[in-house]
Amino acid sequence: MRTYELMFVVDPRVSDEEVVTMTQDYKNMITAGGSQITGEENWGRRKLAFPINKVNEGKYVLLYVGSETGKTALPAVEHRMRQNDRILRYLTVRTDEDLKRAARRQPAKGSAPAGERERTDGNAEPEEEV
Amino acid sequence: MARARKVFFRRRKVCKFCADKIDYIDYKDVKLLQQFIPERSKILPRRISGTCANHQRPLQQAIKRARHLALIPFTTD
Repeated sequence: MRTYELMFVVDPRVSDEEVVTMTQDYKNMITAGGSQITGEENWGRRKLAFPINKVNEGKYVLLYVGSETGKTALPAVEHRMRQNDRILRYLTVRTDEDLKRAARRQPAKGSAPAGERERTDGNAEPEEEV
Repeated sequence: MARARKVFFRRRKVCKFCADKIDYIDYKDVKLLQQFIPERSKILPRRISGTCANHQRPLQQAIKRARHLALIPFTTD
């Protein structure tokens, strides 16, 4: 299954209820496109690291999307976000490959340290000989 | 006789991600990323942080993603 994370930053002048309806809109688009919403996080109002469009704060929303077929409505959602000037930023990231790689590396870790060499001792010794 | 003895005890740098077994570097983990962006908000080079190449790459990607979302700054002035 492919998994994605979709995060977007909304203008803080938009009310919380409106953010919820906007989010619901996007969620409907995603589910209509044949994917599931596997999680949702609302970070609320947060200070931006730098002003965007002369705005210093933003409301962060994060959606986790899962898709069995690999076909999603995400491009369409991104398109909508691009046209919505109350969305300051958005970012879609495909996460399944990286998470899988991370999970694979975790159990292999136990055997790895055997190959690790302690080089600090080897370098110091030749200097001691007269 | 004075023997030029150079005994350096340089602290061996270890990759933070290898040590802590962090395999997925999340762009949302601002606290973690902040350790790799010093004062000028540049990405800390490997030669200083000691991060291994295999972890520096996803770290760099995560920092850039976080920057795009204004979670961490591009520069400080």
